[in-house]
Amino acid sequence: MTGSHSERSRPPTRRLLVGAVAVLVLLLAGVVWLESLHPQLDPSGNAVQGVPPLALDDEPTCRRFVDEAPIDDIRQRLESQAAIERVEEGFPSGGRISSTQVYLCPSAYDGKEVTYVGEVVGELLPRRGGAWAQVNDDEYALVTGPVVGHRERAGFNTGLSVWLEGDLADRIAAPGRPLLRGDVVLLRGTILRADPDDGGGITLRATELETLAGPLQLEAPLHTLQAVIAVVLSLLAAGASLWAWQVRRR
Amino acid sequence: MTAILRPDADDIKLIGYYLGKVLLGLGLLQLIPLVTALTLGEWNSASAFAIGAAIAIIAWALSDGLLATRQPLSWAHGMVIVALAWLLGPIATAVPMLLSGRFTDPVHALFESMSALTTTGMSVIHDLDHTPVSEDLFRHLLQIAGGLGIIIVVLSVFAAGGARITTLYASEGRDERVLPNIIRTARFIFQVASTLFVVGTTALVIALVATGFTFPRAVYHGVNLFFASFATGGFSVMQSSIIYYHSATVELLVGLIMVAGTLSFGLHLALWRGDPRDVLRHLETRTLTVTTSLLFALLCVGLVRAGSYDTVEALLRKGLFTMVSAASSTGHQVNVGDTYLYDWGLLAPAAIVGAMAMGGMASSTAGGIKALRVGITFKSLTHEIRRILLPESALVVTTYHAGKRQVLRDENARAATTVLLLFIASYLLGITTALAYGELDLTQAIFEAVSVGSNIGVSIGVVNPGMPDGLALVYILQMWLGRLEFVAAFALLGYLFSLARGRARA
Repeated sequence: MTGSHSERSRPPTRRLLVGAVAVLVLLLAGVVWLESLHPQLDPSGNAVQGVPPLALDDEPTCRRFVDEAPIDDIRQRLESQAAIERVEEGFPSGGRISSTQVYLCPSAYDGKEVTYVGEVVGELLPRRGGAWAQVNDDEYALVTGPVVGHRERAGFNTGLSVWLEGDLADRIAAPGRPLLRGDVVLLRGTILRADPDDGGGITLRATELETLAGPLQLEAPLHTLQAVIAVVLSLLAAGASLWAWQVRRR
Repeated sequence: MTAILRPDADDIKLIGYYLGKVLLGLGLLQLIPLVTALTLGEWNSASAFAIGAAIAIIAWALSDGLLATRQPLSWAHGMVIVALAWLLGPIATAVPMLLSGRFTDPVHALFESMSALTTTGMSVIHDLDHTPVSEDLFRHLLQIAGGLGIIIVVLSVFAAGGARITTLYASEGRDERVLPNIIRTARFIFQVASTLFVVGTTALVIALVATGFTFPRAVYHGVNLFFASFATGGFSVMQSSIIYYHSATVELLVGLIMVAGTLSFGLHLALWRGDPRDVLRHLETRTLTVTTSLLFALLCVGLVRAGSYDTVEALLRKGLFTMVSAASSTGHQVNVGDTYLYDWGLLAPAAIVGAMAMGGMASSTAGGIKALRVGITFKSLTHEIRRILLPESALVVTTYHAGKRQVLRDENARAATTVLLLFIASYLLGITTALAYGELDLTQAIFEAVSVGSNIGVSIGVVNPGMPDGLALVYILQMWLGRLEFVAAFALLGYLFSLARGRARA
């Protein structure tokens, strides 16, 4: 601890601390306020048309080695006539499933022929006999489009690793990237809980593909006020740095 | 009884002065994603980074101009500066994250930046797969800055050096000084990191191109993968983490980089000097080897018994990778989080929890209790047993190798056990808070609390963008305590107590 100055010459400690906390609170409030002014786009037009309903309208869970009872029940429900009839023509057997349903009870879907709809994101990774793709079936893929200029935030991306057999990958115009929703495709294939060709990963080995929506390029609306504040603060930062440098020189 | 002295304004000024330098470092760091954003035309991201950088630089300039001092740093100052730096740093770097609009609220933005800097690697970002390149790069840059230690990074560049930063270096949870001089230590750390960056990134880029990436995308993924892996951070460019690459070669390279990240810099020096014997006889190497081997055996038994995998390749690519990711405290995943709960039985996740609790080596980029402390605790246990079994007149001496041959002393054993118990207390805090929300079962609560408290990042799915703010705040506290290994945090508490109750100096 230092103690070379008299008590009177020291600025009050409490005032320094309260000042620092006040600056932090003001900073937080300012940033929240600025973010709230971000110009918004209407994402309702981004919804993909022609997505068949899910074969199961709930997300049943099971736990391997702990609670395996639901597995047979899910498998029977997937094979029921009602589930199959919910799927559109062209993909007559195997109801549509979601990636979340698969992850919550992988054993129930192992070896099942299913229909799956999602957005191809990232890259297509060609290998002998086909290509790997990441296909997301989250809200960003099917309903709102990527988080660009709207606040329809729906959590993590969720999707399946998909093996696109033969030349199916050639039919994909563009995978999703920043500011771009990639092709939304309807796939038919078989779920593998521990795919030996992917080191034991959960995969969908797709044999049929239909494009439901082509790539969707988005443009983020410029947050003009944020840009202006950025310029002003940058100038202030440059000035403050210069001032600090001069003080140090003295 | 000695009265506690109240810190005065000069103490506060001294602390503010050094905190300003840390903010300068984090402000300048934001210039990299700022330039990236301007280059790629990501205008909103660019303005967010400009605001974040400008605020940090203004704070530094004011502290430098108004609070500059030549007074020496005491240990108490050092501890308080480090504890506050690891709070202020995440707050400052949360600014551009919050402005990005990809986080639920300010608490979640703070969670992300704390997770990045403490190299925990848990994420709560919405729609990562469409995140602008500059914002993603920023998350990974924070991990490497945090992994190397923001204090050592910033102060070795901007501070006067010497005795002053020695205090801060030790306060930041570095138990072992690699070289006698702290500046030389910092330079050595940079040397190791830079060399491995060139080698590791080149190897990753080649592997990614072979996997099917275009060259520019391979560079982008390779750089970020290296940052996240060597920093033992665990962030990823894509939400599906390492699954995304569908490549055993990429998994192998990432695994090697994670191991390099978890090695202490003292052992890096031994390898650098061509002395692998020092690595082999080091207590931490032996502890990590034994515990990881045992836990991996347990993991395999669990996975085979549950019927999760039945091929050697699957056990290696899913089981061993996850074990290395947990033991190195990185957190890269080759499974979707739900898999640990729904497809791995009970024993395999328990083995992962054990590896996460233990963590990597002291004085590395890794987190967790640390192998050194676990090794010392085990040594002190065997020491006590020997003492009981041998005649009372026998002099029992236990030694271990950590840089040099050392005699096990009571104070070392006590310090190791105390920190170990504090980590357990941190886990309990996270577990009870998660359970209090009433939506999770015990496996989920334990898995996530240990992962967060040890700064690991392997997630069973509890941490997500919809996580309640209360739980997020407790996890933020756990990450902060885990990174500081408690000592600096308690020093800060003591300092605050003395501010409120201490006696004013005459």
